[in-house]
Amino acid sequence: MEIKYTIQGLLIYITVAVYLLAFVTTIARRVRAGRGLFVAGFALATISFVYRWVHVRHVPLQNLFEVFLFLGVACYPISWFCRRALRIGGQWADMLIGAIVLFPAGFIFNAEPMQLPPALQCWLFAPHVAVYMFSYVFMLKATFQAGEQFVNRRPRVEETLIPPEQATYELIAIGFPLLTLGLVLGSWWGKLAWGRYWGWDPKELWSLASWLVYVGYLHWRHMSGTKHPRINSLWAMTGMLAIIITLLWVNLAKIFAGLHSYAT
Amino acid sequence: MSRFKRFVLWAALVAIVVLTAMSIYGAFIGADRAQAFFNSVPLVAYWFAAIALLATGIVVFRRLLRVPSLLLMHLGSILVLLGAMWGSKPGHALQSRLLGIDKIPEGRMGMYEQMQENQVRVGDGNDLEQLPFFVRLADFRLEYYEPGVLLIYSRDGRNWRMPAQAGKTLSLGEGLGTVTIQRVFRNFKMDLQGDKPVAYDPPGGSNPALEITAERPDAPPRKRYVFEQRFGHVDANDPLVMDFRRNAKDYLSSLEIVKDGQVVAAKEIEVNHPLHYGGYHLYQHEWGRDRFGEYSILMVVSDSGLNAVYGGYVSLIAGVFWHFWGRRILHWFRAHYTIGPKAPGESR
Repeated sequence: MEIKYTIQGLLIYITVAVYLLAFVTTIARRVRAGRGLFVAGFALATISFVYRWVHVRHVPLQNLFEVFLFLGVACYPISWFCRRALRIGGQWADMLIGAIVLFPAGFIFNAEPMQLPPALQCWLFAPHVAVYMFSYVFMLKATFQAGEQFVNRRPRVEETLIPPEQATYELIAIGFPLLTLGLVLGSWWGKLAWGRYWGWDPKELWSLASWLVYVGYLHWRHMSGTKHPRINSLWAMTGMLAIIITLLWVNLAKIFAGLHSYAT
Repeated sequence: MSRFKRFVLWAALVAIVVLTAMSIYGAFIGADRAQAFFNSVPLVAYWFAAIALLATGIVVFRRLLRVPSLLLMHLGSILVLLGAMWGSKPGHALQSRLLGIDKIPEGRMGMYEQMQENQVRVGDGNDLEQLPFFVRLADFRLEYYEPGVLLIYSRDGRNWRMPAQAGKTLSLGEGLGTVTIQRVFRNFKMDLQGDKPVAYDPPGGSNPALEITAERPDAPPRKRYVFEQRFGHVDANDPLVMDFRRNAKDYLSSLEIVKDGQVVAAKEIEVNHPLHYGGYHLYQHEWGRDRFGEYSILMVVSDSGLNAVYGGYVSLIAGVFWHFWGRRILHWFRAHYTIGPKAPGESR
């Protein structure tokens, strides 16, 4: 754990604090103030991301530090979209997610700028990673909803506009196409860069496993509908576990050394 | 739902869970062993069973035929699996046996500039196979990020990095003094002028180096040279060890395809920009340097089954987005915007 005594670090710490404040304010039933703080946190996260972009002079999605910075930005627009278009609540959870994803960027991951290796100098680089990150935020939100359903908790504040089980499905239905697109774009890029659209690399296999868990969820839910909501929720939570392993463990654990090691 | 339909759905679910478990297992054993595992005989049986199951699903469930998005997803999956099997090593062996198509699934070529070659190293590199055309490497060049970096390590485990630019100075703290980069050479050479060695930088060639001055409070300034291509001699009494590094930005090979003595195709390839000719893709894979100079390593990959895989991807993506997004977007528009003239007093 290290503290970053840089402008970048300062921006991250302030954003985490604002997101946490937004969370606490919302929990304390000051919903409007909480939303205002959430917007402020988003603005700060965006400034932090743009600052990094200017600093490294390429789309900052190369390593875990930059990817988590991006996740911190993605939380608010996805939260807004879910609330407005899908009628799914849980904004308090989105504020918490924002703080959680920025925490490792601020205290754990190395922020040393890195030059892009030749393989990453491809137009598919940014869409492949960005699409995956958006899908991960949707799936994380789905996991929170699945968790609420699993413990049978009553909705917090004025939140849940549709029931958690239904909300979990809706979120997965939005995130799954992005997850599929991320996988396909990665495969296409792998063909251009390494000559193989599938290299049996640990990261590829874990991302396939994540995708398959959600394929399993969709088939299971088609079979049983809402008869076994807790099993539906378990599928969704297992998917998130696979995503966390794909995103973090594969890059951080030495047992999974492979073609994607430069993302560490 | 009939018993058979229920059986097919359960079989699909089991197949998905089994493939998930195998993917996780494959992730633990490394890419090479995972590739061998997923191409083994039991797994080939699994892939065929998966294709049969997908096809059965399409036939049995009317909804898969009636809803185009669902059909696209499942057909796409079948295409990807078929294409991948056709393009695999066993698939190539089958093509050779059944159709007489002899293609090299994958191999590598190491080439110096001006070399013309049609032999490809396959497998672990000991076997050679021939392409139906020659590849000529007209030019090969490396591009680096500038400036490089000077890495400095102290004997007590501390380390520093500084941009490799002339005039840059770095203070290493008490006891270790300062380090200054005096000159940056692209092609370092040294000659004697009288009995004094003089470093110079003639045009052409490549031997990047830095001239460094290390100043310590208790000793006179000391000049040294740090080379990129060789680590060089390390003085055991020197408190500092230095390393000059430049990261490759790109490596490019100008290739010509020669068939029957004629150049039939040419392209400057680089990573992410391969050349396609005669059923093969030629990739800029790696590069190396030995006593004869820099050489380019090309990867040669057969394109068998690729169109089916890409067609499958398009079908899968179209199906997934239409099913989960397209229908929702359409529904949303229908709910928010009515088409046609507004009734008196109606608001939108």
